[in-house]
Amino acid sequence: MDVLTQASALVFQWQVIVAIIAAAGFGLLVGAIPGLTATMATALLVPFAFFMDPVPAVGMMVTCAAMAIFAGDIPGILLRIPGTPASAAYASEGYAMTQQGRAEEALGASLLFSAIGGLFGTFVLIFAAPTLAEIALNFSSAEYFWMALLGLTCAVFIGASSPLKGMISLFIGLFVATIGLNNPAGVPRFTFGSSDLLAGVDFIPAMIGLFAVSVVLSTVAAGAPPWESPQKKTGNVFHAWGGLLRRYWPQQLRGNLLGTVVGALPGAGADIAAWIAYAVSRRFSRTPEKYGTGHVEGIVECTSSNNAAVSSAWIPAFVFGIPGDTITAIVIGVLYVKGLNPGPTLFIFNPETIYAVFLIFILANLVMVPLGWLLIKSATRMIQAPRRILMPLILAFCIVGAYASNNSVYGIVIMLVFGVLGFIMEENDIPIAPCILGIVLGPIVEARFISGMIRGDGSLLYFFERPIAAGLGLFVIAIWLLSLVGWLRRRKRRLAAAGTQDGSEASA
Amino acid sequence: MRFNDLMLGSMLLLFAVVLGAYSFTFPPIPGQRFGAALFPQVIALGLGGCALTLLLQSWRRARANPPAPRTPLISRTEWTLKPGAIAAVFLTIGLVVLYILFSEKIGFLLSISAILIILFRLLHVPWSSTLAATLVGSILLDFVFRSLLLVPLPFGILPRLPW
Repeated sequence: MDVLTQASALVFQWQVIVAIIAAAGFGLLVGAIPGLTATMATALLVPFAFFMDPVPAVGMMVTCAAMAIFAGDIPGILLRIPGTPASAAYASEGYAMTQQGRAEEALGASLLFSAIGGLFGTFVLIFAAPTLAEIALNFSSAEYFWMALLGLTCAVFIGASSPLKGMISLFIGLFVATIGLNNPAGVPRFTFGSSDLLAGVDFIPAMIGLFAVSVVLSTVAAGAPPWESPQKKTGNVFHAWGGLLRRYWPQQLRGNLLGTVVGALPGAGADIAAWIAYAVSRRFSRTPEKYGTGHVEGIVECTSSNNAAVSSAWIPAFVFGIPGDTITAIVIGVLYVKGLNPGPTLFIFNPETIYAVFLIFILANLVMVPLGWLLIKSATRMIQAPRRILMPLILAFCIVGAYASNNSVYGIVIMLVFGVLGFIMEENDIPIAPCILGIVLGPIVEARFISGMIRGDGSLLYFFERPIAAGLGLFVIAIWLLSLVGWLRRRKRRLAAAGTQDGSEASA
Repeated sequence: MRFNDLMLGSMLLLFAVVLGAYSFTFPPIPGQRFGAALFPQVIALGLGGCALTLLLQSWRRARANPPAPRTPLISRTEWTLKPGAIAAVFLTIGLVVLYILFSEKIGFLLSISAILIILFRLLHVPWSSTLAATLVGSILLDFVFRSLLLVPLPFGILPRLPW
């Protein structure tokens, strides 16, 4: 209790509160701008953090990250351009709702379940941090390999009208991930002598290209007509809250739990949590056929999971000093500079600091509701702004954003290549989302597989030797088999239907 | 620009074969069974499988209804039938290419302004709005990225601006 009083004294000072609110506003803006990620928002705060006390510095970054992840949903829902990768999984779903004039329901669900997800993850962080992190810390290559493979498996079924096209997209993404020097053998692959490509394809410009430039290209080609079935005004975002909570609490809880577990794993963050949540939600839904047509159920589960993951990603970061994702990696650097070495000692020597940060987590997820509401109110004007003015400006912004990722025109080249690729893929109904997941998970799958094979002396049994790995492995294989059986059954039914149709035509 | 299954399948198959063949040139990790070549080969195999499935589907469809007219290898999607649509796409891509080539010499402000003016006019934005949006857009981007976020955007032929 004494620690909690000390922690409150550290948090409830006007400088800290002002810093948190400013960071919240900044995170919301950056997250809402397509192509600028939550990671970028956090990184941009680092220079400010160096000049501040530890509690406001860390509090600022924590708040900013949570806000940016939520705000990424807004352009995803209104324009189908996800603000951050964590919103990519359900951008199409949300956009379909906007096209039907149900933007406020999607945005309301996103705001409510983001805040609840963040709070859920925070409470797990506070109460179960040490135990959970210990489990994740015991993971070896085998467990990571299966987790990543699970992500890839899910990717094929995300947003794809045909799993075959989803698979093509995934393999394109996996190929992109092989480019460069970043592989277990350290051999330059597909670089063709380019020194820029040695470091691999930069993820931020690739993402801007695939998700933003492709949209600009198709809009410019169509002469930028007004938004299709635009929703001029969002109504009361709070209106649907009661019904959503009553109806979708199991999805919310499942999303929270999944997000918390995925976030707590080192290397897996909010974006992977959202992808897996969408696939899980669709798999267990009573109405899977509604997914992709503007169904709020998937949005509820995804947004519950990605914000829970943002909070729980701090579990391995604070307890063991191992980053859960890119955002926590940046903050760990700041903690070291501040003389607060993350690890178990932090809980022993500076408990008031760590509890102050936990309090800020709770505050951040609470201020998300009013600030998020303000942002939603102003963001809907975006949809009324004429596209012929907006699109060239978005292209200019993409160019600068791609340049800023490593301060060279190489970023713009990557952006353009992926913009054209995304444009051609969309023209041919090949979904973009699995490609992005292939780019992110490819290196993990490869590195874990090769190191597993080296440890297992070339035996595949290594991946089933440990109980958790065996469980995960069997789970992944079960998904594959179930999908195959389902496909064969559907095919049989289709053939049978075609057969009876032919028969009736012949008798007629 | 929409490829039919035959065209898409053939292109992907060709890519998969080239990818698989090229990855045999990667050296192995000494003393290990698997090296840098394994993962690209698995991808080539997967992509090749997808391509063959597409080709098989296309062949089955052709066999099922032989009198039906064949879809062309490359067909134009609805929007490309609009006059100037394809030119607009190539112009937009061309503008970004020109930016990549010349922005360091000319500078960020001038080159981004040129892109904005051309695109606004392409989309039939009136001159007054074009100039206003270009001025505000380019200066705001310059201020936020160069001055606030310290991104070293190229000055080019313009002198250093006061902000």
